Amino acid sequence: MQLPDRITGLFLVVLGGLAAYGGSRLPPVPGQQIGPNVFPMVVGFGLVLCGALIALGVGRRFEEAAEADLSAHSDLPGNAPQAARWWRGLMALVPPALLLFYVLAVDRLGFALTAGFMVLIAAMALGARLRLALPLAIVAPLFVHLVFSKLLRVPLPPGLLPMPW
Amino acid sequence: MNTLLEAFGLVLQTDVLLAILLASIYGLVVGSLPGLSATMATALLVPVTFYLSPIAAIATIISASAMAIFSGDIPGALLRIPGTPASAAYTDEAYAMTRKGQPEMALGIGLWFSALGGIAGTISLMVLAPPLADMALNFSTYEYFWLAFLGLMCATLVARSSPVKALASMLLGLLVSCIGIDNPAGTPRFTFGSTDLLGGIEVIPALVGVFAVSEVMRAMVSAEPPKLPYRRFGSILKGQIALTRQYVKPQVRGNIVGIIIGVLPGAGADMAAWVSYAMSKRFSKTPEKFGTGHPEGLIEAGASNNASLASGWVPALLFGIPGDTITAIAIGVLYMKGLNPGPTLFTERASSMYALYIIFLLANVIMIPLGIIMIRVASLVLLAPRASIMPVIMLLCAVGAFATGNNLYSVLLVGVFGIIGFVMERNGYPVAAMVLGIVMGTMVEQSFVTSIIKSDGSIWPFFARPVSAVLASMTIAALLWPLGVWLWNWRPRRVA
Repeated sequence: MQLPDRITGLFLVVLGGLAAYGGSRLPPVPGQQIGPNVFPMVVGFGLVLCGALIALGVGRRFEEAAEADLSAHSDLPGNAPQAARWWRGLMALVPPALLLFYVLAVDRLGFALTAGFMVLIAAMALGARLRLALPLAIVAPLFVHLVFSKLLRVPLPPGLLPMPW
Repeated sequence: MNTLLEAFGLVLQTDVLLAILLASIYGLVVGSLPGLSATMATALLVPVTFYLSPIAAIATIISASAMAIFSGDIPGALLRIPGTPASAAYTDEAYAMTRKGQPEMALGIGLWFSALGGIAGTISLMVLAPPLADMALNFSTYEYFWLAFLGLMCATLVARSSPVKALASMLLGLLVSCIGIDNPAGTPRFTFGSTDLLGGIEVIPALVGVFAVSEVMRAMVSAEPPKLPYRRFGSILKGQIALTRQYVKPQVRGNIVGIIIGVLPGAGADMAAWVSYAMSKRFSKTPEKFGTGHPEGLIEAGASNNASLASGWVPALLFGIPGDTITAIAIGVLYMKGLNPGPTLFTERASSMYALYIIFLLANVIMIPLGIIMIRVASLVLLAPRASIMPVIMLLCAVGAFATGNNLYSVLLVGVFGIIGFVMERNGYPVAAMVLGIVMGTMVEQSFVTSIIKSDGSIWPFFARPVSAVLASMTIAALLWPLGVWLWNWRPRRVA
């Protein structure tokens, strides 16, 4: 999701504008100069200004210097070789999608099944074979359930598959 | 003296000591795995801290973060891949040393000077915090407003990115803090009719998302780091005493720079290491040796990043202003544990503060034996495939967020902030600045509005009190600084 500065800058301009507009419509508190509307408006105008500067490329030089420094001093693993394919970029959305799945499903399916499914999919998405992913999808939810439900007393929903403890 | 004994009593409890040991092991493992940072280690610890005693909770955060910052040096020295961002500045140097056939020396420097740096940082915390607390007792909302404002400006000045983007990130964080009814007027802001949003965006799920989920997302699109070949190490600490004597100056300078950067809001261990490494090269008599496996820069930067950890707690404990991303999380835990940050912490809960110093010292002392064990088993730990670690981390994010308030809305927040953190990092927006904005937004607004009400709408009292006048001029200087630098850089080009 590497976007040109022009796009992110314009996004901030729009977001700031909306924040300032939304802030300006908040009711003032009678008898007070500074109501709840002032802070969002200041922040919104600040965002508009920063967004415009970013879109114009101001400050880009500092960033390039920092990036050059980092790559000169270490080998961070770069993008995967398959990253050239457009759908590989979308793989980044797998974890948030699985978290959304957790929110929607955990009350009905229960913790064990939901968590097992999440771990299985995430492990497969990271390139694990079924030989690794399947045992992991069984052991990890059991372990997490043991720690959080048994030791820390977090009420994890039992759902379709209650735990033996 | 009595307080000190009481503090020892607080620390020498089975649960606290066990918490320190387990958190240390956890920190060492997480720090050594590339892609898992010290901040992430701390964020994932939060749900566990709910169920610990206040001192044990703080102990886990202190020991896990200190260990993780050291442990990040291990893959750096052996693979040229930093385990945590705090090691990135000198990874090249450490790896060059390994290639020269001295991996023990590179790792030994990392361990020994990390521990010494951590102790130096702790001493700075012990020396700086009480007098500052005395001074802060007289602070009113005017001073708090300027402090918070100054903290926000610092975060944008010291970011390793474009200052404009840092400022934008900070404002984004402030905008997030606007959400909810937690404002002086109690008006719902940007809640869009949602009852979940009325309570605002909780800091802990947001931080877990930004620091942990975004790392899992990054793993999805990046190549897996190579495995560490098994290697037999000689004595790790051999020659470290001689190096300590030989490089007194770089070490002390590293400690001091680390302490200063730690105290500055928003700038943490990674920044300290970068600045110290650059400084070491600048002031060295033999700058040409840098990059070839020369110990000087390693010593200075290694001492610096661990020193910054402890001093980051100074503003956090005194004012509730995070010194780095780790203390941003720690502040949340402090509030939850009834140790509300503020100068009175040092008078009313003095024994707890002493206990905190003792834990810091203890953690840095046991870092040496535990670190040696970790170095020897590192190749085994790093054997764990990423596909087995990242899914578990994601699961811990979900359950941990749920545990913060037992509602699924937090899990959703974690996912949303994961996306925000991922997109921001990819596009060069410093995430730390946004975190500072989220943590401090309410404080800036509250202190400003209360001050304005007190002064009956006049701006004058903001500058009238001596301390607030000093803070105000510092803030304005910080505000104008980037403009000054920009104009300065502009000038020669126009002449040429």
